[in-house]
Amino acid sequence: MKKEDLRALFEKNMQFFMSIPAFVWIMIFFYVPLMTILGRSFFVRSRVTFVPSPSLENYATFFDCTYFTIINRSLLLALITAVACLLIAYPVAYFIARHVKTGKNILLFLVMLPFSVNMLIQAYSWFFMLGKTGIINTLLLNLGIISQPLHLLNTSGAVYVCVIYCYVPFMILPLYTALEKIDARFIEASLDLGANWLQTFGRVIIPLSLPGISTGFFLVFIPAFGEFVIPALLGGGKQMYASSLISYYFLTTRNLALGSAFTLLSSAIVLFVAYVIYSWLKKIRS
Amino acid sequence: MKTKSIQLEHVKKRFADEAVFEDLNLTIPGGKFFAILGPSGSGKTTLLRLIAGFDSVDSGKIYLGDQDITNMPINERRVNTVFQNYALFPHLNVFDNVAYGLRVKGVAKDIIEERVVQTLRMVHLEKMMYRSIAQLSGGQQQRIALARAVINGPDVLLLDEPLAALDMKLRERMLVELIELQDQLGATFVYITHDQVEALTVADSMAIMNYDGEIEQVGTPKGIYEFPTSSFVAKFVGSTNIFKGTVEITPESTSITIDELGKFWTTAQPDKTWVYDGASVLMSLRPEKIEISKQPQAGFANHVRGTVRTIMYNGSYTRYTVQVEDGASVHVFEQNEEHFPQEVIDYDDVVNLYWQKENVVLLER
Repeated sequence: MKKEDLRALFEKNMQFFMSIPAFVWIMIFFYVPLMTILGRSFFVRSRVTFVPSPSLENYATFFDCTYFTIINRSLLLALITAVACLLIAYPVAYFIARHVKTGKNILLFLVMLPFSVNMLIQAYSWFFMLGKTGIINTLLLNLGIISQPLHLLNTSGAVYVCVIYCYVPFMILPLYTALEKIDARFIEASLDLGANWLQTFGRVIIPLSLPGISTGFFLVFIPAFGEFVIPALLGGGKQMYASSLISYYFLTTRNLALGSAFTLLSSAIVLFVAYVIYSWLKKIRS
Repeated sequence: MKTKSIQLEHVKKRFADEAVFEDLNLTIPGGKFFAILGPSGSGKTTLLRLIAGFDSVDSGKIYLGDQDITNMPINERRVNTVFQNYALFPHLNVFDNVAYGLRVKGVAKDIIEERVVQTLRMVHLEKMMYRSIAQLSGGQQQRIALARAVINGPDVLLLDEPLAALDMKLRERMLVELIELQDQLGATFVYITHDQVEALTVADSMAIMNYDGEIEQVGTPKGIYEFPTSSFVAKFVGSTNIFKGTVEITPESTSITIDELGKFWTTAQPDKTWVYDGASVLMSLRPEKIEISKQPQAGFANHVRGTVRTIMYNGSYTRYTVQVEDGASVHVFEQNEEHFPQEVIDYDDVVNLYWQKENVVLLER
């Protein structure tokens, strides 16, 4: 092949060639490890000879209430976090997108600022705030509202507060984008046709911001399901979440086969739940 | 059905530091097709937004019939709007868009269905009931916007340049349908436009707004076109020739002398106090009121001679620019009545221009 031909080939398929490094990167560091996990999850090592043989035994282990309680706990955490973030973020995003005339970007920047702090640091901050001598207990003691420090740390409440706190910015951004795009004339038309504010909100603003709602929901729901740092730090390890169990298998008991199987099982479940919610959102949109 | 007029009294409105209206007074008669005609930026859309309630006045009052609606919430006003780009709800289909006004009022389902079908039939789109908005053409969207706005049976229908996005043929057809719809409903229609042809066509009466948001003239289309009271109106509605001149009044006659054109007879105008002997005024002369011919003609009060400088053939009529001997240019429109006119006028031909004294309109300077 001549030099010119090569050049023409490259120019014609530029987008393809430019995306090769990213494909290779994702292949090597995501899909290959995922395949090894998949492979491991279907093998059991003999206790005597240590020779692995294919088996479904790893998966069978998890047909037990205990494990479903753990997955349920993570699902509940993800669901409540997503809904709470939606309720907290919607008014903020609405206000910035539709009522602020000048300085929208500054306000948005200020709201998004906590996002720039590493999540581990944010969790540590909550750790210190919620402790026996933390700012909340100190304040309440000094005000005389309580006489004994409250037991705030190592509770599921602490986990929820911190997870919601950390994920709110993920919700604000897509909601802001969707709400900002809504043409003011749709709102005026609704009022003009006799709808009050509540009706306009329910019949026009919410439906038109549904793309933002669904993007924000999944941006929070899926990572919140896999949240590992916060339950470990603020939950005190008393209650297992899906991610804590995975780390327990991989790091504590070193049972890679069971860990792999549980990873895949819980991933499949969360993706299935996300798909059900997505279909439901899509149905109410049309 | 009792029709409701709209009255604006001493309305003042500013945006930031720009005044839109200083002191606006306007009465829109009830049950009529009323057009508000003005150039872009004259504040006519703001006027409509004040009536609809989307914007509020800084001071002044707005009445709907006898009722003061100045501070009434948008959704309580019996006023509906057809928006410039329709503003049809993109997430609802045709039926749901039209039904919107009834749904929010909690009207029973079977009545909604009946009324929606009836209203869609009125705009000839009953077959499109379950289409999505994106599937409709511009003209169909226009009709749906109309149907959505009239289903509540408003006292007043506000139309904000509703035909601006349509092509000419469709616009002409929609104008006729709008007139029929107004007849049928009997509601007060307020039609905002910058297009004088639309305004003249649809309106029972109309108001002309200038660049400063002031009402220049209110009247019937014919009254405004034939008897403009200011040079702004004369120039904005239709085309005209305007010249500065001096009035000369004798007991027998009234005339106006224009430096670059000559002396012309006009009718006596006793009701215009500013027309007196020696007054400096403007003369407006519509191009189509002027007769153009190479041959001398009899029976006209006024006459000048000039040379044809430009000719623009426009189908039904031809526009000429004629330079008269004293240097001024006069525009003339001539109907193209014949395939093969008796007399062919060409560039640089010397022609006679004639007009009657009744067709001269004097305007205050």
